[in-house]
Amino acid sequence: MSPVLRLVLIVGSLLALWVVINRVRKKKIRIADSVYWVVCAVLMILFAVFPGIAFFFSGLLGFLSPSNFVFCMIIVLMLVKLFNMACDISKLTDKVEQLAQELALHEKENEDQGL
Amino acid sequence: MYGAHILQKQHRENVLKILAIIPAYNEEECLANTVSELTSVCPDIDYLVVNDGSHDRTPEICDELHLNHIDMPVNCGLTSGVKAGMKYAYRHGYDAAVQFDADGQHMPQYISKMADAMQEQGADIVIASRNLAGGGAVGARGTGAKLITALIKRATKQTITDPTSGMRMYNRKMIEIFAREFDISPEPDTISLLIRKGAKVIEIPAEMRERQGGTSYLRYFSAVSYMARTCLSLLLFQWFR
Repeated sequence: MSPVLRLVLIVGSLLALWVVINRVRKKKIRIADSVYWVVCAVLMILFAVFPGIAFFFSGLLGFLSPSNFVFCMIIVLMLVKLFNMACDISKLTDKVEQLAQELALHEKENEDQGL
Repeated sequence: MYGAHILQKQHRENVLKILAIIPAYNEEECLANTVSELTSVCPDIDYLVVNDGSHDRTPEICDELHLNHIDMPVNCGLTSGVKAGMKYAYRHGYDAAVQFDADGQHMPQYISKMADAMQEQGADIVIASRNLAGGGAVGARGTGAKLITALIKRATKQTITDPTSGMRMYNRKMIEIFAREFDISPEPDTISLLIRKGAKVIEIPAEMRERQGGTSYLRYFSAVSYMARTCLSLLLFQWFR
Protein backbone atom coordinates (compact mmCIF):
# COMPACT_ATOMS: atom_id res chain seq x y z
CA MET A 1 0.00 0.00 0.00
CA SER A 2 1.46 3.31 -1.07
CA PRO A 3 1.76 6.11 1.47
CA VAL A 4 -0.49 8.22 -0.76
CA LEU A 5 -3.29 5.64 -0.67
CA ARG A 6 -2.96 5.39 3.12
CA LEU A 7 -3.12 9.16 3.46
CA VAL A 8 -6.14 9.36 1.15
CA LEU A 9 -7.89 6.63 3.16
CA ILE A 10 -7.26 8.41 6.46
CA VAL A 11 -8.26 11.86 5.21
CA GLY A 12 -11.30 10.48 3.37
CA SER A 13 -12.45 8.47 6.39
CA LEU A 14 -12.05 11.38 8.80
CA LEU A 15 -13.97 13.59 6.38
CA ALA A 16 -16.72 10.96 6.17
CA LEU A 17 -16.87 10.68 9.97
CA TRP A 18 -17.16 14.45 10.27
CA VAL A 19 -20.02 14.50 7.74
CA VAL A 20 -21.87 11.68 9.55
CA ILE A 21 -21.49 13.29 12.99
CA ASN A 22 -22.68 16.60 11.59
CA ARG A 23 -25.74 14.99 10.05
CA VAL A 24 -26.60 13.28 13.33
CA ARG A 25 -26.22 16.59 15.13
CA LYS A 26 -28.45 18.36 12.60
CA LYS A 27 -31.07 15.60 13.01
CA LYS A 28 -30.83 14.52 9.37
CA ILE A 29 -30.12 10.84 10.11
CA ARG A 30 -31.06 8.55 12.97
CA ILE A 31 -28.23 7.06 15.00
CA ALA A 32 -29.40 3.55 14.12
CA ASP A 33 -28.90 4.34 10.41
CA SER A 34 -25.51 5.96 10.96
CA VAL A 35 -23.91 2.88 12.56
CA TYR A 36 -22.90 1.39 9.19
CA TRP A 37 -21.11 4.55 8.03
CA VAL A 38 -19.22 5.03 11.27
CA VAL A 39 -18.11 1.38 11.30
CA CYS A 40 -16.95 1.61 7.64
CA ALA A 41 -15.00 4.79 8.27
CA VAL A 42 -13.28 3.28 11.30
CA LEU A 43 -12.50 0.14 9.27
CA MET A 44 -10.83 2.21 6.54
CA ILE A 45 -8.78 4.10 9.11
CA LEU A 46 -7.66 0.76 10.60
CA PHE A 47 -6.56 -0.46 7.13
CA ALA A 48 -4.59 2.74 6.59
CA VAL A 49 -2.95 2.89 10.01
CA PHE A 50 -2.15 -0.83 10.17
CA PRO A 51 -1.28 -1.94 6.59
CA GLY A 52 -0.35 -5.32 8.08
CA ILE A 53 -4.07 -6.22 8.13
CA ALA A 54 -4.40 -5.66 4.39
CA PHE A 55 -1.09 -7.50 3.71
CA PHE A 56 -2.27 -10.47 5.77
CA PHE A 57 -5.64 -10.82 4.03
CA SER A 58 -4.33 -10.16 0.51
CA GLY A 59 -1.78 -12.93 1.08
CA LEU A 60 -4.42 -15.22 2.49
CA LEU A 61 -6.92 -14.66 -0.35
CA GLY A 62 -4.37 -14.42 -3.19
CA PHE A 63 -4.66 -10.73 -4.09
CA LEU A 64 -1.76 -9.32 -6.12
CA SER A 65 -1.42 -6.29 -3.86
CA PRO A 66 -2.87 -5.11 -0.54
CA SER A 67 -4.40 -2.05 -2.20
CA ASN A 68 -6.43 -4.40 -4.41
CA PHE A 69 -7.73 -6.02 -1.26
CA VAL A 70 -8.73 -2.65 0.18
CA PHE A 71 -10.56 -1.69 -3.04
CA CYS A 72 -12.29 -5.08 -3.08
CA MET A 73 -13.37 -4.61 0.55
CA ILE A 74 -14.87 -1.23 -0.27
CA ILE A 75 -16.77 -2.71 -3.23
CA VAL A 76 -18.09 -5.57 -1.11
CA LEU A 77 -19.22 -3.19 1.64
CA MET A 78 -20.95 -1.01 -0.96
CA LEU A 79 -22.74 -3.99 -2.53
CA VAL A 80 -23.94 -5.18 0.88
CA LYS A 81 -25.23 -1.70 1.72
CA LEU A 82 -26.85 -1.36 -1.70
CA PHE A 83 -28.70 -4.64 -1.30
CA ASN A 84 -29.82 -3.79 2.22
CA MET A 85 -31.11 -0.46 0.98
CA ALA A 86 -33.02 -2.23 -1.79
CA CYS A 87 -34.64 -4.41 0.90
CA ASP A 88 -35.44 -1.36 3.03
CA ILE A 89 -36.99 0.43 0.06
CA SER A 90 -39.14 -2.64 -0.68
CA LYS A 91 -40.39 -2.66 2.90
CA LEU A 92 -41.05 1.09 2.84
CA THR A 93 -42.89 0.84 -0.49
CA ASP A 94 -45.13 -1.86 0.93
CA LYS A 95 -45.83 0.17 4.07
CA VAL A 96 -46.67 3.33 2.11
CA GLU A 97 -49.02 1.34 -0.13
CA GLN A 98 -50.71 -0.24 2.89
CA LEU A 99 -51.08 3.16 4.56
CA ALA A 100 -52.62 4.60 1.38
CA GLN A 101 -55.05 1.66 1.20
CA GLU A 102 -55.98 2.04 4.87
CA LEU A 103 -56.56 5.75 4.40
CA ALA A 104 -58.69 5.24 1.28
CA LEU A 105 -60.83 2.57 3.01
CA HIS A 106 -61.16 4.81 6.06
CA GLU A 107 -62.43 7.72 3.99
CA LYS A 108 -64.93 5.45 2.25
CA GLU A 109 -66.19 4.23 5.64
CA ASN A 110 -66.53 7.80 6.86
CA GLU A 111 -68.44 8.81 3.71
CA ASP A 112 -70.76 5.81 4.00
CA GLN A 113 -71.54 6.83 7.56
CA GLY A 114 -72.36 10.30 6.29
CA LEU A 115 -69.64 12.04 8.23
CA MET B 1 -65.94 -4.12 32.29
CA TYR B 2 -62.94 -2.44 30.73
CA GLY B 3 -62.13 1.08 29.83
CA ALA B 4 -65.36 2.49 28.37
CA HIS B 5 -65.88 4.96 31.20
CA ILE B 6 -62.22 5.49 31.82
CA LEU B 7 -61.81 8.79 30.01
CA GLN B 8 -64.59 10.42 31.98
CA LYS B 9 -63.06 9.39 35.30
CA GLN B 10 -62.44 12.29 37.62
CA HIS B 11 -58.96 12.86 38.89
CA ARG B 12 -58.40 13.96 42.44
CA GLU B 13 -56.41 16.99 43.56
CA ASN B 14 -52.65 16.58 43.86
CA VAL B 15 -52.72 13.16 42.30
CA LEU B 16 -50.85 12.71 39.07
CA LYS B 17 -52.98 11.89 36.06
CA ILE B 18 -51.13 8.85 34.78
CA LEU B 19 -51.34 6.98 31.49
CA ALA B 20 -49.94 3.48 31.13
CA ILE B 21 -48.75 2.95 27.56
CA ILE B 22 -48.96 -0.72 26.61
CA PRO B 23 -47.31 -1.45 23.25
CA ALA B 24 -48.60 -4.77 21.92
CA TYR B 25 -47.24 -6.66 18.94
CA ASN B 26 -48.73 -10.15 18.60
CA GLU B 27 -49.69 -10.36 22.29
CA GLU B 28 -52.98 -12.29 22.02
CA GLU B 29 -52.00 -14.68 24.83
CA CYS B 30 -51.29 -12.15 27.57
CA LEU B 31 -52.90 -8.85 26.67
CA ALA B 32 -56.30 -9.46 28.30
CA ASN B 33 -54.75 -10.67 31.56
CA THR B 34 -52.24 -7.83 31.65
CA VAL B 35 -54.92 -5.16 31.19
CA SER B 36 -57.38 -6.71 33.66
CA GLU B 37 -54.63 -6.96 36.29
CA LEU B 38 -53.63 -3.37 35.63
CA THR B 39 -57.17 -2.02 35.92
CA SER B 40 -57.92 -3.99 39.08
CA VAL B 41 -54.67 -3.11 40.88
CA CYS B 42 -54.55 0.52 39.68
CA PRO B 43 -58.16 1.67 39.14
CA ASP B 44 -57.07 5.32 39.26
CA ILE B 45 -54.85 5.30 36.23
CA ASP B 46 -55.76 5.24 32.55
CA TYR B 47 -54.15 3.02 29.98
CA LEU B 48 -53.71 2.93 26.22
CA VAL B 49 -52.96 -0.26 24.32
CA VAL B 50 -50.98 0.48 21.16
CA ASN B 51 -51.62 -2.42 18.79
CA ASP B 52 -48.57 -2.19 16.55
CA GLY B 53 -49.91 -3.85 13.40
CA SER B 54 -50.23 -7.29 15.01
CA HIS B 55 -50.90 -10.27 12.76
CA ASP B 56 -52.61 -12.37 15.43
CA ARG B 57 -55.88 -11.81 17.32
CA THR B 58 -54.58 -8.79 19.27
CA PRO B 59 -56.81 -6.25 17.43
CA GLU B 60 -59.92 -8.45 17.84
CA ILE B 61 -59.21 -8.84 21.57
CA CYS B 62 -58.93 -5.05 21.88
CA ASP B 63 -62.32 -4.60 20.17
CA GLU B 64 -64.16 -7.43 21.95
CA LEU B 65 -63.07 -6.39 25.44
CA HIS B 66 -63.50 -2.68 24.60
CA LEU B 67 -59.94 -1.92 25.65
CA ASN B 68 -58.89 1.70 25.24
CA HIS B 69 -56.61 1.21 22.27
CA ILE B 70 -55.24 2.51 19.00
CA ASP B 71 -54.33 0.37 15.97
CA MET B 72 -51.25 1.16 13.94
CA PRO B 73 -52.15 0.24 10.32
CA VAL B 74 -48.67 -1.23 9.74
CA ASN B 75 -46.00 -2.55 12.10
CA CYS B 76 -43.78 0.35 13.08
CA GLY B 77 -41.68 -1.02 15.93
CA LEU B 78 -41.57 -0.46 19.68
CA THR B 79 -40.19 3.08 19.48
CA SER B 80 -42.95 4.29 17.20
CA GLY B 81 -45.60 2.55 19.31
CA VAL B 82 -44.39 4.21 22.51
CA LYS B 83 -44.16 7.56 20.72
CA ALA B 84 -47.76 7.22 19.53
CA GLY B 85 -48.72 6.63 23.17
CA MET B 86 -46.71 9.69 24.22
CA LYS B 87 -48.54 11.82 21.64
CA TYR B 88 -51.84 10.58 23.08
CA ALA B 89 -50.67 11.35 26.62
CA TYR B 90 -49.54 14.82 25.55
CA ARG B 91 -52.77 15.68 23.75
CA HIS B 92 -54.97 14.41 26.59
CA GLY B 93 -53.07 16.37 29.24
CA TYR B 94 -51.56 13.55 31.28
CA ASP B 95 -49.02 14.48 33.97
CA ALA B 96 -47.07 11.26 33.63
CA ALA B 97 -46.81 8.27 31.32
CA VAL B 98 -45.45 4.86 32.16
CA GLN B 99 -44.23 2.23 29.70
CA PHE B 100 -45.89 -1.04 30.57
CA ASP B 101 -45.20 -4.35 28.82
CA ALA B 102 -48.14 -6.29 27.43
CA ASP B 103 -46.51 -9.64 28.14
CA GLY B 104 -47.09 -9.58 31.91
CA GLN B 105 -43.47 -8.92 32.94
CA HIS B 106 -44.32 -5.72 34.79
CA MET B 107 -46.30 -5.61 38.03
CA PRO B 108 -48.88 -2.82 38.27
CA GLN B 109 -48.46 -2.33 42.05
CA TYR B 110 -45.14 -0.56 41.35
CA ILE B 111 -46.78 2.16 39.26
CA SER B 112 -48.06 4.07 42.29
CA LYS B 113 -44.66 3.70 43.99
CA MET B 114 -43.02 5.15 40.90
CA ALA B 115 -45.49 8.05 40.88
CA ASP B 116 -44.85 8.72 44.58
CA ALA B 117 -41.08 8.72 44.01
CA MET B 118 -41.52 11.04 41.02
CA GLN B 119 -43.51 13.56 43.08
CA GLU B 120 -41.44 13.36 46.27
CA GLN B 121 -38.09 13.70 44.54
CA GLY B 122 -39.19 15.92 41.67
CA ALA B 123 -37.84 13.45 39.12
CA ASP B 124 -38.35 13.67 35.37
CA ILE B 125 -37.91 9.93 34.79
CA VAL B 126 -38.40 7.04 37.24
CA ILE B 127 -37.00 3.63 36.28
CA ALA B 128 -38.22 0.42 37.93
CA SER B 129 -34.92 -1.34 38.60
CA ARG B 130 -34.72 -5.11 38.92
CA ASN B 131 -31.13 -4.81 40.15
CA LEU B 132 -32.08 -2.64 43.16
CA ALA B 133 -34.54 -5.37 44.15
CA GLY B 134 -31.81 -8.00 44.00
CA GLY B 135 -32.77 -9.36 40.60
CA GLY B 136 -31.67 -8.34 37.14
CA ALA B 137 -30.88 -9.79 33.77
CA VAL B 138 -28.46 -12.72 33.68
CA GLY B 139 -26.21 -14.23 31.03
CA ALA B 140 -25.54 -12.31 27.82
CA ARG B 141 -28.32 -9.84 28.56
CA GLY B 142 -26.85 -9.17 32.00
CA THR B 143 -23.39 -8.56 30.53
CA GLY B 144 -24.84 -6.20 27.93
CA ALA B 145 -26.75 -4.32 30.63
CA LYS B 146 -23.60 -3.97 32.76
CA LEU B 147 -21.72 -2.58 29.76
CA ILE B 148 -24.49 -0.05 29.14
CA THR B 149 -24.46 0.94 32.84
CA ALA B 150 -20.71 1.57 32.61
CA LEU B 151 -21.04 3.63 29.43
CA ILE B 152 -23.84 5.74 30.92
CA LYS B 153 -21.73 6.29 34.04
CA ARG B 154 -18.89 7.49 31.79
CA ALA B 155 -21.15 9.89 29.92
CA THR B 156 -23.18 11.24 32.84
CA LYS B 157 -21.36 10.34 36.11
CA GLN B 158 -24.63 8.77 37.23
CA THR B 159 -25.17 5.06 37.86
CA ILE B 160 -28.30 3.60 36.30
CA THR B 161 -28.44 0.10 37.76
CA ASP B 162 -31.03 -1.27 35.31
CA PRO B 163 -30.74 0.70 32.04
CA THR B 164 -32.62 -1.90 29.97
CA SER B 165 -35.65 -2.01 32.27
CA GLY B 166 -38.73 -1.55 30.12
CA MET B 167 -40.77 -0.04 32.93
CA ARG B 168 -40.11 3.68 33.02
CA MET B 169 -42.26 6.62 34.07
CA TYR B 170 -41.89 9.99 32.39
CA ASN B 171 -43.26 13.36 33.53
CA ARG B 172 -45.00 15.85 31.28
CA LYS B 173 -41.78 17.56 30.20
CA MET B 174 -40.38 14.20 29.01
CA ILE B 175 -43.70 13.27 27.38
CA GLU B 176 -43.44 16.39 25.26
CA ILE B 177 -39.88 15.52 24.22
CA PHE B 178 -40.92 11.99 23.24
CA ALA B 179 -43.95 13.27 21.37
CA ARG B 180 -41.98 15.81 19.34
CA GLU B 181 -38.24 15.33 19.11
CA PHE B 182 -36.28 13.54 16.36
CA ASP B 183 -34.58 10.20 17.07
CA ILE B 184 -35.73 9.88 20.69
CA SER B 185 -36.44 6.25 21.56
CA PRO B 186 -37.37 4.58 24.86
CA GLU B 187 -33.86 3.14 25.09
CA PRO B 188 -30.88 3.50 27.46
CA ASP B 189 -28.97 5.96 25.28
CA THR B 190 -31.92 8.36 25.34
CA ILE B 191 -31.96 8.17 29.15
CA SER B 192 -28.28 9.09 29.13
CA LEU B 193 -28.86 11.95 26.68
CA LEU B 194 -31.72 13.32 28.76
CA ILE B 195 -29.56 13.19 31.92
CA ARG B 196 -26.90 15.18 30.07
CA LYS B 197 -29.57 17.70 29.06
CA GLY B 198 -30.50 18.17 32.72
CA ALA B 199 -33.27 15.65 33.35
CA LYS B 200 -33.42 14.12 36.83
CA VAL B 201 -33.53 10.34 36.57
CA ILE B 202 -34.10 8.13 39.62
CA GLU B 203 -34.63 4.43 40.16
CA ILE B 204 -36.80 2.50 42.58
CA PRO B 205 -36.43 -1.21 43.37
CA ALA B 206 -39.01 -3.38 41.61
CA GLU B 207 -39.48 -7.05 40.98
CA MET B 208 -40.48 -8.32 37.57
CA ARG B 209 -41.91 -11.61 36.44
CA GLU B 210 -40.72 -13.87 33.69
CA ARG B 211 -42.39 -13.19 30.33
CA GLN B 212 -45.84 -14.78 30.32
CA GLY B 213 -45.89 -15.47 26.59
CA GLY B 214 -45.79 -13.67 23.25
CA THR B 215 -42.67 -12.75 21.33
CA SER B 216 -40.13 -10.21 22.46
CA TYR B 217 -39.35 -7.26 20.25
CA LEU B 218 -35.70 -8.03 20.85
CA ARG B 219 -35.98 -11.28 18.96
CA TYR B 220 -36.69 -9.27 15.82
CA PHE B 221 -34.27 -6.56 16.75
CA SER B 222 -31.02 -8.43 16.49
CA ALA B 223 -29.10 -8.19 19.75
CA VAL B 224 -25.87 -7.30 17.98
CA SER B 225 -27.24 -4.31 16.10
CA TYR B 226 -29.02 -3.20 19.29
CA MET B 227 -25.74 -3.18 21.22
CA ALA B 228 -23.84 -1.57 18.32
CA ARG B 229 -26.36 1.23 18.10
CA THR B 230 -26.53 1.76 21.87
CA CYS B 231 -22.77 1.69 22.41
CA LEU B 232 -22.04 3.97 19.45
CA SER B 233 -24.67 6.40 20.63
CA LEU B 234 -23.29 6.41 24.17
CA LEU B 235 -19.62 6.53 23.15
CA LEU B 236 -19.67 8.91 20.22
CA PHE B 237 -22.87 10.79 19.47
CA GLN B 238 -23.61 11.60 23.10
CA TRP B 239 -21.03 14.40 22.86
CA PHE B 240 -22.50 15.99 19.76
CA ARG B 241 -26.26 15.95 20.31
